[in-house]
Amino acid sequence: MQNQKYLFGHADSYNHDEVLLFLEAVRMSTPARKRLMRDFKRLQQDPPAGISGAPQDNNIMLWNAVIFGPDDTPWDGGTFKLTLQFIEDYPNKPPTVRFVSRMFHPNIYADGSICLDILQNQWSPIYDVAAILTSIQSLLCDPNPNSPANSEAARMFSENKREYNRRVRDIVEQSWTAD
Amino acid sequence: MENDKKPNNVVDDEMEKWDINLSIDVGEEWSNYRDDEVMQQHNAIQAVEAGKLPYVGDKEPLSALAAEYQSGSPVLLEKIKVLGQNYAAIRRTRGDGNCFFRCFMFSYLEHIMESQDKTEVDRIKENVEQCKKTLQGLGYADFTFEDFFTLFLDQVNDVLQGNETSISHDELVSRSRDQSVSDYVVMFFRFVTSGEIRRRSEFFEPFIMGLSNTTVEKFCKASVEPMGEESDHVHITALSDTLGVPIRVMYLDRSSSDSGTVSINHHDFIPAISDPPVATNSDSVSVVEPFITLLYRPGHYDILYPK
Repeated sequence: MQNQKYLFGHADSYNHDEVLLFLEAVRMSTPARKRLMRDFKRLQQDPPAGISGAPQDNNIMLWNAVIFGPDDTPWDGGTFKLTLQFIEDYPNKPPTVRFVSRMFHPNIYADGSICLDILQNQWSPIYDVAAILTSIQSLLCDPNPNSPANSEAARMFSENKREYNRRVRDIVEQSWTAD
Repeated sequence: MENDKKPNNVVDDEMEKWDINLSIDVGEEWSNYRDDEVMQQHNAIQAVEAGKLPYVGDKEPLSALAAEYQSGSPVLLEKIKVLGQNYAAIRRTRGDGNCFFRCFMFSYLEHIMESQDKTEVDRIKENVEQCKKTLQGLGYADFTFEDFFTLFLDQVNDVLQGNETSISHDELVSRSRDQSVSDYVVMFFRFVTSGEIRRRSEFFEPFIMGLSNTTVEKFCKASVEPMGEESDHVHITALSDTLGVPIRVMYLDRSSSDSGTVSINHHDFIPAISDPPVATNSDSVSVVEPFITLLYRPGHYDILYPK
């Protein structure tokens, strides 16, 4: 996929940073770190459409990710950035995931944190980074009105879809130019 | 396609700038948010529970159970008396939603340790291998579950004596109380239970519909795979079937029979055998006797020890 290109090359051609990252993970060799290397490998080899992510330099416990707004939806064309902060209990405990890009969505708080069951009480180690990001991607178009994190967005979503979609388009445009 | 308009080089530049900005504010003030507050509260409750009892408690005489109901229901006290005819001791587990799996883990490993039954170990390893294939067939990625499988198999090997890695009974108890082992084994059971339910979804569907009026897929995601979700008949049946281990559950509740005699209901979960052996004569029909016995009180499981 073209969109993945700017983050990393082919899976079998690790660059210098990736080698360092791998060595760091081996040296620290905790179950969480080893698992995160495999999450990373899977995301490189078999990236789901419209998603990319990678650990920050020298820190496998902190990832940057980008979710592209799904085609043919008001989110189409948006490039939304997130961070995933893992703890040593991973994968028994979920990462803390937060949007860095400004968002307008019923289940996303003003500070970017996300109200999503699999990131809270419904977490299971069966989810890897690819699955987490895919779930967040589908949350974009399929909000859960029962747990509003942004009451304005929640109200608009149910009462004035036109205005809601307009606000989403604004957010999409902002995502291209944000800092 | 509209996506083609996306300027990749611009995104590229953004990513670089963003990398620098990010390192500053991550990791602080995560606690301001409502969901996190709920999670923290949840964790606090769990911590209180943890203070009361480790994941797996010490073996106690059955009289300890009676002591709990000293000023309570006479029916229960009568039932505990009846229970005492066949059972000598109880081992409690923490009420954290994982108690069934935790009981099963300890009880199974303790049985292997005491019986040194290598045939059983070989048998369960074959079943575990089958479970792995089931999960692969359902599309789970190996790396999401293999650590949990390995850790369980390590425990089974380690309770067998005579190896370099063999462990004592004390060590088994302490591992069962160590989150990094105990939770991984519980998670292993959750994986194989979920795999079995999904593999035989047609069989389990009516039970699941009756229990929670939801689909098999949603049930597994919401009630089997996450830690801390309590187990019911469906979980026990699936785990017993997939690992091929029979389980007896004694029910301690306030129900009493009309005749006035006090008796305790129990249910044996006997693994469904896909290829039942043909009985050649009446003597060879063996009755499966579960070596794992659990005490069920509404909402909780503990381990029972027969006399």
